Amino acid sequence: MSFSRTKNIKLSPIKQMELLASKIPDVVSLAQGVPSFDTPEIIKKAALKALNRGVVAKYSLTYGLPELRETIEQKLAEENMYYDFEKEIIVTAGSIEAITASLISIIDNKKNEVILFSPSYTSYPEAVKVAGGQPVFVNLIEGGLALSQSKGWQIDFKSLERKVNSRTAAIIICNPNNPTGTIFPKEDLLKIAELAWKRKIFIICDEVYKDFVYDTRNYADLHADLIKETQSARGSASDQRNTGQRESAFFSLAQLPELRKIVIRVFSLSKAYAMTGWRIGFLHSDEENVKEIIKVHDALVTCAPVISQYAAMAALDFADQEIEEFRQKYQARRDLICQHLDELSDFFSYQKPQGSYFVFPKITRSARGSDIERGSRADLMTRRARGSSQRESVSWRFAIDLLEKAHVAVVPGIAFGPSGENHIRMSFGRSEKDINEAMKRIKEYFSI
Amino acid sequence: MITNFLKTIVQFFLKWFAKIYLWRVKPHIIVIAGTTGRHWIKEAVADALKEKNFPVRANKKNFNAEIGLPLSILGLISNDTKNQTIQIPIKTNFFISWLKILYQAAKIAFCHKGPTLKQFLVLEMAIDRPDNMNYLLSIVKPQTIILTTITMIYAENFENLDEIALEYKKLIKALPWDGLAILNFDDERVKKLAEFCGRVISYGFSEEADFQVKNVRKVLDGQEIEISVNQRSNQRRSASIIKINRFGNHHIYAALVKEAIKEHFKISTLDFFKSLSH
Repeated sequence: MSFSRTKNIKLSPIKQMELLASKIPDVVSLAQGVPSFDTPEIIKKAALKALNRGVVAKYSLTYGLPELRETIEQKLAEENMYYDFEKEIIVTAGSIEAITASLISIIDNKKNEVILFSPSYTSYPEAVKVAGGQPVFVNLIEGGLALSQSKGWQIDFKSLERKVNSRTAAIIICNPNNPTGTIFPKEDLLKIAELAWKRKIFIICDEVYKDFVYDTRNYADLHADLIKETQSARGSASDQRNTGQRESAFFSLAQLPELRKIVIRVFSLSKAYAMTGWRIGFLHSDEENVKEIIKVHDALVTCAPVISQYAAMAALDFADQEIEEFRQKYQARRDLICQHLDELSDFFSYQKPQGSYFVFPKITRSARGSDIERGSRADLMTRRARGSSQRESVSWRFAIDLLEKAHVAVVPGIAFGPSGENHIRMSFGRSEKDINEAMKRIKEYFSI
Repeated sequence: MITNFLKTIVQFFLKWFAKIYLWRVKPHIIVIAGTTGRHWIKEAVADALKEKNFPVRANKKNFNAEIGLPLSILGLISNDTKNQTIQIPIKTNFFISWLKILYQAAKIAFCHKGPTLKQFLVLEMAIDRPDNMNYLLSIVKPQTIILTTITMIYAENFENLDEIALEYKKLIKALPWDGLAILNFDDERVKKLAEFCGRVISYGFSEEADFQVKNVRKVLDGQEIEISVNQRSNQRRSASIIKINRFGNHHIYAALVKEAIKEHFKISTLDFFKSLSH
């Protein structure tokens, strides 16, 4: 047995950190990107109702329950995205299944490279490998000007253009980006789209954090032209689609009909509705793409969990208020964690996240003890679990040292791609109590 | 147990407040029913009436069953934020919140003055079990009914399609003598219901349809369709091409119904000037 296809696929470093943390008592974890909230009551009630009606025991259609897809179509229309629920929307088992199914349908022998931004979500490279592809990293540059006029992470377009070639099958964009919390400006997204259009490359837009966007006034100012432009471009015919529509400040490439054939947009209810365990999400794209992806989706899961589909229907219909409450709480937690990081400015520098619930601070030289620089006894603990390159990284050693000495779990930045090195990812999806306790321990770790 | 009891009480009062409101204000009620595509048809109907300057109110998506329907009738839930009186409490078991809603409902039922012009109330109606229709019809007496399709996909509690069709037959039979049914002639069961009502306007891809769609062409940002209309006065057909910025057949049906509504409901000149003053 050689397992040649899977031997280079690694278990997510986030799960590895969680596993290591579980062996140490009294650990406060800011590692996993799981919301601290429970699924809203109204969603749980809808699931229970469906369960009691006896409608969840059988498979649904492979595309998903028609009434859910109709609801998704309505929801998308509120955000200026127009897709046919019968042929262009697939309900999936979370976003990672949607991404993997899309990649499997896109990647072939001639086109097998997938551009990933670094740092970006840690499971993308493994999903690309599962699909038989080759991840190619394009670095984000830390410190460029981004939205809200604070320094952020910017796409290195020169590097992107260099790395796109005839073997490139797709570009994956996580927006807002996990782990940096960056919201990519419309101009940058359009530049990527132009490049992808010219080179016949798919764009997979992973927008699972799009409901958690902060400093909305600033953001809206910078994007105010979007809605006007989109609507004026469509002229008088737009009246057919405006009823009940709310203006969304968040720009998605899936809003542009011109890009329907190259954009596959993915969304998950895991984060927005605190439903990580329900494994429910969806993708949408032009009919031509969806009719291919559905074959893979069918082979992988047959259909998304039916009870979760009923829950998703209630979420999309009735839980807007809860999402807004979550967003406000995450914004307060972001400000709290940033306040703590400001007090640790000798040890960390960071870009204030504009979205998601992660902050990605850089570990300064003074934060790295000599044992971290050289390698430490933590190596012994990790050798069994990791490949050598990650094990030897500063961020991995720092995260392990922090776990061992301060009992705080974070994710080493190297897990998110090469340019994530020297950083750690902290989740403020956890409660204020956890954030305060973790940061107190980190301050003690640095003897503040 | 307590929640179910509370739900029954709330349902009972909401039903009666809605009935009182309808009796007092007497709006023209357009009901959109059928198993698929109701939402888009409802939006299209509301748009068509607004374009004609009629005062119109439509229920919010999925507020279309035992509790949602009376709330929509009372204007407590509406797509039109200007008309929206309150937000429905999401945590439905909150007794105080429901008490507040019942108070608001009572106020609207007994004190609300309707608009000077006859108001159109566009209501999406959903059934998911036998006898649902009887309950909904005990609240609402429609003057116009638009039927989309009869399929099994939303109806696990029915034995077969004919059983669902029987529910819609009850709805059609509830029309007054001068009522209007707008029926999708692509669905055989819906088409058959034409036998049970006086005035019928039909729509669909079918050649028999009064509002027939021909030559659908998918374009970059939507669909271009040719609509052929049967002019009953001279037995001729007129044709026009329109563009809809959406994808899927359900949007074509919505466009056909929109044309039918625009054609059928025409505001008088006097009412037009009255509407301008509002």
